[in-house]
Amino acid sequence: MIDTARLTLRQPEATDWPAYRAYRLSSRSSTGSAMPEGEAWTNFAAFFGHWHLRGFGRFVATLTETGRSIGHFGPFFPEGHPERELTWTLWAPELEGQAYALEAAHAVRDHAFGRLGWTSAVSYIDPANLRSQRLAARLGAVHDRAAANPYGDATQIWRHQPQMTKGHSQGGFAALPPADQPKVIS
Amino acid sequence: MIARPPQITHASAPTLQTARLVLRMPRFADFAHRLAFYSTDRAVWEGGPFPPREAWRIFASEVGQWPLMGFGPFSVDMNGDYVGEVGIYQPEGYPEPELGWFVTEAAEGRGIAAEAAKAVMAWAHLTFGWDHIDNYINPGNTRSVALGLRLGGQIVDARGIDPGDVVVRHDLRGTP
Repeated sequence: MIDTARLTLRQPEATDWPAYRAYRLSSRSSTGSAMPEGEAWTNFAAFFGHWHLRGFGRFVATLTETGRSIGHFGPFFPEGHPERELTWTLWAPELEGQAYALEAAHAVRDHAFGRLGWTSAVSYIDPANLRSQRLAARLGAVHDRAAANPYGDATQIWRHQPQMTKGHSQGGFAALPPADQPKVIS
Repeated sequence: MIARPPQITHASAPTLQTARLVLRMPRFADFAHRLAFYSTDRAVWEGGPFPPREAWRIFASEVGQWPLMGFGPFSVDMNGDYVGEVGIYQPEGYPEPELGWFVTEAAEGRGIAAEAAKAVMAWAHLTFGWDHIDNYINPGNTRSVALGLRLGGQIVDARGIDPGDVVVRHDLRGTP
């Protein structure tokens, strides 16, 4: 579990399904259009299986104050992908514009390079998703045009910088506002 | 109707032992065998073949059924080697928890799926008190239908996953 100023990031729970389902059946789904319910459920169950099989996986971020589940974030490494990935997804449009995604993405980036001991990570981003590209840039990631692309399409690959993580000798994280600094509590 | 347990007593698979087999919680190394299956025409009755990313997503979702629902797949070992997967599955759209089986190509024809399926049915009856469990089988998958019948199952007029599915029902009431 990871605590940030406003969020609690924890392993997915069965009770997250209605909020995740609503996201996948909306146009926010990463395919750009609603996903069939069966496919959405397979994705949801795969969160749990990924945790068991890999020993890590995506967190569900909740608003600490209310407990509301707002999105999934973090370490993703499906077998067959060339590199470990960090992902960020808010499930509902009214959650945008409050820097929740940035806060959660910072936390999982530091978790991956810290506790999980990753030495590299990328994010695969749709070229049309400018908002996500801006978030990657704010995290200090850079667009890596030479990286292997498992999708074989126009997907952009943004490479994260381990030295941006808190505690690293470069100290890049110190420039971030205190609200973004996560505390790992378990 | 049989239904998911109201409370999850098994967030991961228990280990079951039969005369020749050990049934256990799946682990990462098992995926290579599922990938080998899903990438070939042997997976045609499961909707395949599938690319690796999709095979991983399906496998991870199957394994994820344990913490979500309290049942799921068992990986099957014989003499320490992985030979297949038998378990209980209920992805979205399945009318009831379903009994499913898979053996590797090398392990076919040795009664492994039948032996493992009997153990899983006995475990399900004991654990959940279910009086039956069904297989949903594409009618073209004659080998799987034959196994269901050999295990004592009967073809019933019930809903499967897709229209036209053969539904083979196993009566669990006499199960030890």
